[in-house]
Amino acid sequence: MAAPFRPCDHCAKPAVVHNTVIVNGQMNEVHLCEDHAGAAGIQMPGQAPIHQLLGQLAQVAGTRPRGPVCPECGHTFHDFKTSGLLGCPACYDAFATTVGPVIERSHGGASEHIGNVPARADDANQRAALLQQLLRELETAVSAEQYERAAQLRDRIKDLRPTTAARIDGTP
Amino acid sequence: MTDLTAMMAGDRDVVMSCRVRLARNVSGFPFVGRATHPQRREVLETVRAAAGPDEASVGLVGGGRVGASTAESLAWVDLAALPKRDRQLLWERHLISRQFAEGDSPRAVAVTPDERFSLMVNEEDHVRIQVLRTGNLLREAFDAAVRVDATLGSRLDFAFHPKWGYLTACPTNVGCGIRIGVMVHLRALRVTNEIEKVKRAAKELHLAVRGFHGEGSEATGDWFQISNQRTLGVTETGLLEEFAGRIVPAVVAYEREARRVLLERQRTLLEDRVFRGISLLRSARLLGLDEAMKQLSSVRLGVCLGLIPDVGLDTLNRLTIQLQSAHLRAGESGIESDDDERAARARVARTILGEQ
Repeated sequence: MAAPFRPCDHCAKPAVVHNTVIVNGQMNEVHLCEDHAGAAGIQMPGQAPIHQLLGQLAQVAGTRPRGPVCPECGHTFHDFKTSGLLGCPACYDAFATTVGPVIERSHGGASEHIGNVPARADDANQRAALLQQLLRELETAVSAEQYERAAQLRDRIKDLRPTTAARIDGTP
Repeated sequence: MTDLTAMMAGDRDVVMSCRVRLARNVSGFPFVGRATHPQRREVLETVRAAAGPDEASVGLVGGGRVGASTAESLAWVDLAALPKRDRQLLWERHLISRQFAEGDSPRAVAVTPDERFSLMVNEEDHVRIQVLRTGNLLREAFDAAVRVDATLGSRLDFAFHPKWGYLTACPTNVGCGIRIGVMVHLRALRVTNEIEKVKRAAKELHLAVRGFHGEGSEATGDWFQISNQRTLGVTETGLLEEFAGRIVPAVVAYEREARRVLLERQRTLLEDRVFRGISLLRSARLLGLDEAMKQLSSVRLGVCLGLIPDVGLDTLNRLTIQLQSAHLRAGESGIESDDDERAARARVARTILGEQ
């Protein structure tokens, strides 16, 4: 007979990870679907040994039961760990050291966005950071002789800052 | 009469439908899970105002479509006020997710009359742009989704991070926030026990293989949804090219080869299943959903191989949706028991396929 359907703690998908986490003597049950488990840094069987996974959880639980707190929305790292979801955009910076590696793991090791930028991402800092990133990528693409990619990057750089793009067009 | 050449040119013999979904959040608000109901209502009103009244205002008309005067209105459906059966109806039509159907907080979906576009507000993320197409029209779906994104993005500040890209409630969607997916009918690969190879190959390519209704649904019949898992460190167009240029053609070719081999080596067995399937759908008096999907799968294979020339793929696509539970209950009053539903399913199948 099939096991009874148990939804994920955070969505309607079926839970595939069922954990009991003990923090300061208090027992909590955690049920997560594959996606939310992955987001919480829990790898599926075949991806990581279970003791490694439990070790990670125990480490976080043992050192600081509630973990860091997002100054913007009050979301705790513990909230993220149990739900797999962040509370607000500022959480990404508030939990950078802990969530960052989790993100990279769930995206095959990727650590930077290289896709589209919203039309209104006109915040100077954001544009500057993105520009720096694109310049780095351009350098890599040119040295790897990936000219098609380099041309795409140049176009994006041009869109971001025309004056800089003019200078870059002169690079080999 | 089914035009096999036209069907194969559009990959419709294997690709039932395709989908492009973008996840976005509005700056200045907590993500949906953390937002209060008043904040969710504010997000809803803000997005609704940004989307405007019709296909033109949301950015859908343009490109392939001619003339803004043909723009149809967006139908906004308030999920919180919708009866359970109607929520399920939207889910069965793949217009909303199961999660969205089951929640109870302020949220809504905008749908175009042709049901090829839906805009979910306050699902897991504030905004979920979804474009659906029948057959393998990924590039068209992609273009439409990108246009809507650009239109909404010119009116709303989407949460964005220079390192992580578009910020989403779940970090598995961060970066491009895009999911590209195809619903494929892999009957022959299943029969020849090669489906596990497809799944393994998909996993290596960071792809998810799920059932007919996406996450959490075991493959109903022989339909599988294949979608990308990585959204960070990839570009939108790169993913599109990977799907449209490599993955879909490979899966289509693999399934066609399995069909060819089946026809060559086990023709009688194959024909037996196909003709039993069509006979059963045309004559059954009680029909469970699982059985209906199983027989539809056999019939679909028969139609694609030219064995049943009087049934079209459009008819089968329509049946696949109309035989789902909420659709039957919406179409007929007085369905109370499971047997009532099974009887109604058999009636609808007989009517649409023509009783013999």
